[in-house]
Amino acid sequence: MDFSLNQEQRAWQEKARKFAAEEIAPLSLERDAILDPFDAFDWEIIKKGSKLGFRTAVISREQGGHDIDFVTQAIVMTELAKADSAISKTFSQCWKWSHLIAAVCNDDQKERFLEPFLADDTFVLGFGATEPNGGSDNRMPPPGDIRAGHRLAGRVEGDTMVLNGDKVFIANGSIAKLFFVYVRTDPTVPIGQGTTLMMVPRDTPGFRHGKVFNKSGWRFYQNAELIFENARLPMANMVGELNGALRRREGEIGGDLFGDLELAANGLGICDAACDKAIALVRARKNGGALKDQQLIQLKIGRMKMLTEALRSYVMRVAWEHDEHILSTNAGLAMNLATDIIQEVTEIGMEIFDHAGTPMDRGIDKLVRDTFIWSHLAGDSVQRMKVARRVLSEEKFNLI
Amino acid sequence: MYDLRLSEEQIAIRDMVRDFVAQDVFPIATKPERLEPFDTPLAIDLVDAASELGLRTLALPEDAGGAGADTLTCCIVAEELAAGDVDVASVLARTAALGGVLFNQLMNDEQRGRFLPAFVEDSRYHLALADREAGMETALGVDYHRDTGNRVDVATTARRNDRGEWVVNGEKTRVANAPLAKLFAVLVATDAGNGILLVPADAPGLTVTEVPRDGGWYVGSCGDVSFKDCAVPADNMLGPEAADLLAGPGSDFGLPEAQAINLGVGRAAFEAAMEYAGVRVQGGRPIVEHQAIGAKLAEVLINLETARNAIWQAAWTVDNPGAEPTGNFPPLPRAKISQVVTAERIYRATKDSAECFGAMGVMRDMPLQKYIHVSRVFLHTGDGNADTKLRIAEAATGFSHP
Repeated sequence: MDFSLNQEQRAWQEKARKFAAEEIAPLSLERDAILDPFDAFDWEIIKKGSKLGFRTAVISREQGGHDIDFVTQAIVMTELAKADSAISKTFSQCWKWSHLIAAVCNDDQKERFLEPFLADDTFVLGFGATEPNGGSDNRMPPPGDIRAGHRLAGRVEGDTMVLNGDKVFIANGSIAKLFFVYVRTDPTVPIGQGTTLMMVPRDTPGFRHGKVFNKSGWRFYQNAELIFENARLPMANMVGELNGALRRREGEIGGDLFGDLELAANGLGICDAACDKAIALVRARKNGGALKDQQLIQLKIGRMKMLTEALRSYVMRVAWEHDEHILSTNAGLAMNLATDIIQEVTEIGMEIFDHAGTPMDRGIDKLVRDTFIWSHLAGDSVQRMKVARRVLSEEKFNLI
Repeated sequence: MYDLRLSEEQIAIRDMVRDFVAQDVFPIATKPERLEPFDTPLAIDLVDAASELGLRTLALPEDAGGAGADTLTCCIVAEELAAGDVDVASVLARTAALGGVLFNQLMNDEQRGRFLPAFVEDSRYHLALADREAGMETALGVDYHRDTGNRVDVATTARRNDRGEWVVNGEKTRVANAPLAKLFAVLVATDAGNGILLVPADAPGLTVTEVPRDGGWYVGSCGDVSFKDCAVPADNMLGPEAADLLAGPGSDFGLPEAQAINLGVGRAAFEAAMEYAGVRVQGGRPIVEHQAIGAKLAEVLINLETARNAIWQAAWTVDNPGAEPTGNFPPLPRAKISQVVTAERIYRATKDSAECFGAMGVMRDMPLQKYIHVSRVFLHTGDGNADTKLRIAEAATGFSHP
C-alpha cells in the first residue's frame, strides 16, 4: 500500500489550493449572500479557473485536455470545495460529462462539441434528467411501470428529433452551452427501455431555460428549469442508440461512478473548511475559560477531525479503485457516508461557535446550508437503497 | 394521580388560536417573500391581530383584562402560533410571559397601578427583558462543578442621583422584543447587588438599535439597548427576588414557552411532510406508503411527542411550584431538560420532514428550508445545549455554585 501522491498529483493539489485560497475564498460568502439565485453566479471565477485547466481537466491529452487521473480529480474537487463547494461543483459538473463524451460519443460528436468546449472558457456542460413527475422514479424506476419517470417527449422525424416537455432542477441549467438530456422516445415501455440520450446545444430553436431555482445552499451553483417547445435536434446529436440510454452495458454495475466520487470528494472539502474554522476559533477564543481547555470542546474537535480523516481515506480509496478499474460498491457507499459525515461535522462546527458565545458565524452557517443539499442528492433513501441493492445482488464484482 | 387532560378553557383557547392561524396567519406566512431567511420583516399586522385576540395579555388575570393563562396554556398558545409564523409567536410569547411574571408576581401595587392600564389598553405595548451584557463571558465552561465563580457579571449600573432617581449606564445586547418594547425590565448592578429596574422605552438616554436580520439568526424581534445617563424614578426598582428569578444563572424564565415555539415549527414541518407524502406519487404509490418515508415520518412524530411531553412537564412544574410531576427528589431541572430535548429533536424533525420533499426541501420559496433554519437557530442560540447539559448535570448531583 502506498498513500503518497506523485509529483503531478501534488502539483495539481498545490495549484487548486492556491486558486481556492486566493481567488475563490474571498468571494464565497459574498456570492452566497446574493438574494437572486441567478445573480449569485459569476463568470469571472469560472473563466479564471478555466484558464488554469480546472474546467477541462479530465479531457484526454490527445484531445487537448489534461487527462488527470481520478485520484487527482478527487484532490482537486476537495481543494476547490474547501473554499466554496458550489464553485467546485460547477467545474466538476463539466468533468462529469467530459467522462461521458470520452466514453460514449462518436468521433463526429467529439469533433463537433469537444473543440468548442476546449476553446471557450465559458463553455460549461449540464445534464437533464429530473422532471416534476420523475425524481426518485428516474433513479429507481418501479419495474414495469410505464407511467413512472421522465416524460420529455422525443419524436423522430427523419434525421430530426422534436422535443416537447420540461426538466427541473437541472445542473448548470441557466449557464451551460451544451446539455445531455434524457428523452422519452418510447412512452409505451418503462424508461429503462424507452429513453434516449440527446446532446442539446443552448441555441437549439425551441429550447430555453426557465426559472432558476432558489436554493438555501449551494447558491452559486445554478439549477434551472429547461423548457422544450418543439425543439428540433439533428439525430446526429443522439448519444448511443435510440431507446438505449438506460440499458446497462456489459461490465457496468450501475450507479454513477464519477458522480458518486464527486459528491464524496466535494463534501470532504466542506469538512476541511469546517475543521479549519473550528480549530482556529478554539485556539483563539475564550468563554467560560479558554475554549481549548474545555473537555467538551476538545471532544468535539476530535470528532470533527476523526470523521473528516475517515472520509478522506474512503474518498481516496474510491478514487484509487477507479484508476485501477476495480468495480465495487464503494463509490456509492462513500457518497452515502459523505452525507452523514459532512452534516455532522458542520453541525458540530456550529456547536463550537455556540461555545464562543457570539452570534452565529455566516461562514459556518453557509457550510451547514451547503451540506443539506446532500440529503436529496447523495444520501436520501433512494440513493442509499440503490447502493444497498447492488451490495445485495448476486453479481460478482472485482472486490478487494 | 396522573391526569394529562387539558381543561376545557385550554382546549378552547387552543382551538381559537388554531383557527386564527389557519385563516389569517398561514396564508401570509407561507408567501415566498416571507420564507427568505435573510431579510424578512416582522409581520407586525399579524402581531397586532393576535394582540387584539388577547394573546399579548394572555397571562394576566381575567379581572385585569387577561385570560388568566398559566404557563402550560401559554405553551399551548405559543405552539399553535408558531406553527403559523415563528416571529409573530416569539414576540407575543415574550410579552405574554413577561406580562405574567411582572404584573402578577414582581411589581408592587404602586408599580402595577402606574404600568398596567397602559399595557392592557395599548395593543402595541410590548415588554422586553434586557439581561444579556455586551461582550461578557456567559458560558459555564471550566467553572462546571467548581467552587470558582458563579459569574453574573453585570456591567450595566444603576446609581442614585441627588433627586433619588436611578441613573442607568451600560449596554445590553440581543434583547428580544427591544425594537417593539414600551417597557424594559433591565438587569442592573447597584451598590446593594443586582436588581431589575423598570425602564420605559421613552426614558431619555435609552437607545434601541435593531439587530440586522443578516442570516436571520434570531426569531421574533431583537435589538441592542444602550443606556446613557438614563434616569428613571426611584420607585421603578423591583423587589430583590426579581434578579434571580428573571436573570440569574439558574433562571428558567420563559424557557418552556420558547421550546413550545420551536415545537410549533417542527409541527408545521411535519404537517407539510404528511400532506405531501400523501399526494406525491413515486414508485407507483403515494410515498407515505413506502417503508423509507413511513419510518421517517414516524421518527418525526416520535420526536414531536417527546418534545411536547418534556415541555408540558416543564410548564406544569412552573405552574405548580414545589411539586414534581414524577415525585423525584431532588426535583429535576425540567425547563433545562425540555430545552435540550426540544432543540435536538425538533432539528431532526425538520430535517427529516424536508427530506420527504426531495429537492423541494431546500428551495427558498418553499417553507421547509425555513423550518430547518429556525430549528437551527433554536439549537444554536446563546451558549447552546452543551452549557445547558452541564447545568443539568450540576442539578442532578445537587451541586450549586457558592
